[in-house]
Amino acid sequence: MNAMQPPPKQKKLSLKERYAHLTRGLGWNTTYQPMDKVFPFADYEGIKIHDWDAWEDPFRLTMDAYWKYQAEKERKLYAVIESFAQNNGHLNITDARYVNALKLFLTGVSPLEYSAHRGYAHVGRHFVGAGPRIACQMQAIDELRHAQTQIHTMSHYNKFFDGLHDARHMHDRVWYLSVPKSFFEDACSAGPFEFLTAISFSFEYVLTNLLFVPFMSGAAFNGDMATVTFGFSAQSDEARHMTLGLEIIKFMLEQDEANVPIVQRWIDKWFWRGYRLLALVSMMMDYMLPKRIMSWAEAWEMYFEQAGDALFNDLSRYGIRKPKYFEVASKEKHRLSHEVWSTFYNYTQATAFHTWLPTEEEMTWLSGKYPDTFDRLYRPRFECWSEMEKKGNRYYNPTLPQLCVTCQIPMIFTEPDDPTTTCFRSAEYKGERYHFCSDGCKDIFCYEPEKYIQSWLPVHQIYQGNCGGAEMKDVLAWYHLNFGADNFDYTGSPDQKLWDEWQAQRSANAV
Amino acid sequence: MSGAIHRVTVEPLGQTVNVAEGQTILDACLRAGIYLPYQCNHGLCSTCKVTVVDGEVDLGEASPFALMDFERDEGRALACCARPLSDVTIEADIEVDPDARNCPVLDIETDVVEIRNLSSDIKGIWLDTKGVTFDFQAGQYVNLRLPGIEGERAFSLANAPSEGLLEIHVRLVPGGRGTGYLHEVLKVGDKLSLSGPYGRFYIRESAEVPMIFIAGGSGLSSPKSMVLDLLGKGCDLPITLFHGVRRRPDLYFAELFEKLAAEHGNFTYVPVLSDPQPGDGWTGETGFVHEAAVRHFDGVFKGHKAYLCGPPPMIEASIRALMKGRLFDRDIHTESFLTKADADGPSRSPLSQRM
Repeated sequence: MNAMQPPPKQKKLSLKERYAHLTRGLGWNTTYQPMDKVFPFADYEGIKIHDWDAWEDPFRLTMDAYWKYQAEKERKLYAVIESFAQNNGHLNITDARYVNALKLFLTGVSPLEYSAHRGYAHVGRHFVGAGPRIACQMQAIDELRHAQTQIHTMSHYNKFFDGLHDARHMHDRVWYLSVPKSFFEDACSAGPFEFLTAISFSFEYVLTNLLFVPFMSGAAFNGDMATVTFGFSAQSDEARHMTLGLEIIKFMLEQDEANVPIVQRWIDKWFWRGYRLLALVSMMMDYMLPKRIMSWAEAWEMYFEQAGDALFNDLSRYGIRKPKYFEVASKEKHRLSHEVWSTFYNYTQATAFHTWLPTEEEMTWLSGKYPDTFDRLYRPRFECWSEMEKKGNRYYNPTLPQLCVTCQIPMIFTEPDDPTTTCFRSAEYKGERYHFCSDGCKDIFCYEPEKYIQSWLPVHQIYQGNCGGAEMKDVLAWYHLNFGADNFDYTGSPDQKLWDEWQAQRSANAV
Repeated sequence: MSGAIHRVTVEPLGQTVNVAEGQTILDACLRAGIYLPYQCNHGLCSTCKVTVVDGEVDLGEASPFALMDFERDEGRALACCARPLSDVTIEADIEVDPDARNCPVLDIETDVVEIRNLSSDIKGIWLDTKGVTFDFQAGQYVNLRLPGIEGERAFSLANAPSEGLLEIHVRLVPGGRGTGYLHEVLKVGDKLSLSGPYGRFYIRESAEVPMIFIAGGSGLSSPKSMVLDLLGKGCDLPITLFHGVRRRPDLYFAELFEKLAAEHGNFTYVPVLSDPQPGDGWTGETGFVHEAAVRHFDGVFKGHKAYLCGPPPMIEASIRALMKGRLFDRDIHTESFLTKADADGPSRSPLSQRM
């Protein structure tokens, strides 16, 4: 070994130089094994990369700085969570119905953070370029942190409210949670380039404001300061995640012209997959928040139609057009949330959160936000169900719904140009007929039928006897859903009983 | 507004901007043409983090999760929230452009020594700096202050930096107060005060690749300065200049560029008329200027540096053509000629922020 000479005193490295050492300095061409064996997923998607060094690091965060930041974020967040618990922060929320939005988030979204962790850890191993590898590895750690901090933030509510006790298990089994679960598994089982297009670009960049903002603003509007603080602690990571999404798209488009149609197809697919997933958010915004932020239609206009216009105008310079069927999503914006909430009302016996009919005041808000559709199409439905409730004949849908093979949502959506006719599409593959909720979902299936015929469709699985038994109670037990506590309407639930007791106590104390 | 102004020096560029009372550092930088990376613009995402090397700032409403306590102790700030409390030097995470010479900005008074019609609606104006050495990079612009007219008017310099007089080209904007003054009131012997040089539109000589200049109308000024500068320095890389105008009488300096093309084997001059008249006797290129560029290069632009100067629709069309020909934003440099009346263009996404 050579004696080490003390290096000459040098000017402190710039952030760019330090980051270059962390990334490019850690990459090398392998010699014991050929590169294509070391990186087996680099080519099969058809994306051509000629120069990995042309990757422009969208952010430059060194590992030492990363740990320091995240440690301080954790300290701050856990201090807030702690004081929230000590001060019984749950008593300050607007109404106990709000907690149902958290139930949906914890069972539907937090497990996706964990899936994202796994997905980024996977592709962070498989990119040939060290720049995107490091970016994905850091994001993998972020996502794990998000999953953990969300669970810790919401665990306080689990001490008092039902339906929050086994989110991870429910995510894998409960019928409507197969919608987010299958979405992410579709992405994770794709190649590394498609994964980043799906999650970093389409989801984290194009659609994230429609997921994150409604939940976090919803928390702020409804007095849930613990969840709001979690939102702030995550948002400082999200900026990094979004820029990774932009950079991967730009990089693929600039590296080779042949990448353009592949990227376009992925943008088409993942726009539609993401949009369908957001159907759950639409009903949360319009029906589940006691104090509302804005309507789904307004959010769609602001975050997709306006912001998306600017983005896709810029992308058109690369030969990329707006995602296929974006106009269908805009046509659906005045009906989406109503169709989805009605469905959950139908199946309240099998949901891990409570449902309710909108109050008269809430219906007034909805007709104001949806002047062309609500009074004409949906109010009569709610009024009919309300009448039935009053007569002691609450409507339950007794049969299991047909599911769309691609998005796994029941076939509840309507024709793009006719909100009174259910939209049915189907395709035949190897002698079997498959059903879809939309042209978007059908196209996705038809391009990769071998992938989607393997879908684990909850309704089919129940009928095949794979979900705990033949009776609804058996299936709910298999879901770990506590019958009579987690499910059914908010009215008459243990949640409501507890909340009303607290309110009564509070007014008694005030006297 | 009390009018208090602090000067903020942005390292590693070494450029200085004025920040008005209450204005954020980010806002002042963006308005002065210095691009700092940013995203949320309200203190949450931390993309615009800078180091305050000297002076004092108010950190504003930076989120405690976006700007950590230890970072506050280390003198970090978020440019989107920080407001200077004194003159300040910040260090931002921006790359130093090896081709930026950072010529000092001067406020000078000049004498108008010549005014000449260049085309049907463009005048050339020549200014004497009266012994002051006014150093600039070919492609940069100056701000003119016109008597009795509020605000400043920006004009690119059309002369090569080595030439003695400053030269600007002024197209008469119908109803425009500034250009109306310069066309109709200004006369030889008048004085004009100006400040400059400004702008980041200059030749990236360190790239050492063939260059394409696309000029529209009076957007010829910067490319003229750049081409003269390059040829004057003995540059032997291929240089192609496209100049698009409507009709033959709108074309100017054609003889100069034809002469240069004859003298320099590496220089090609392509004038383009979008609306030639029968009387023009035109046999050259017709159509939009970017279409002529596509024909000339057979649609392949990869491996060049492109410099675009002209009205926004020409810039946009040219960018699309260049990108279709596989030339991307790091190799496309633009100077949009906006008039005072032009509203903000279509909103852009962060994807194109570098251009």
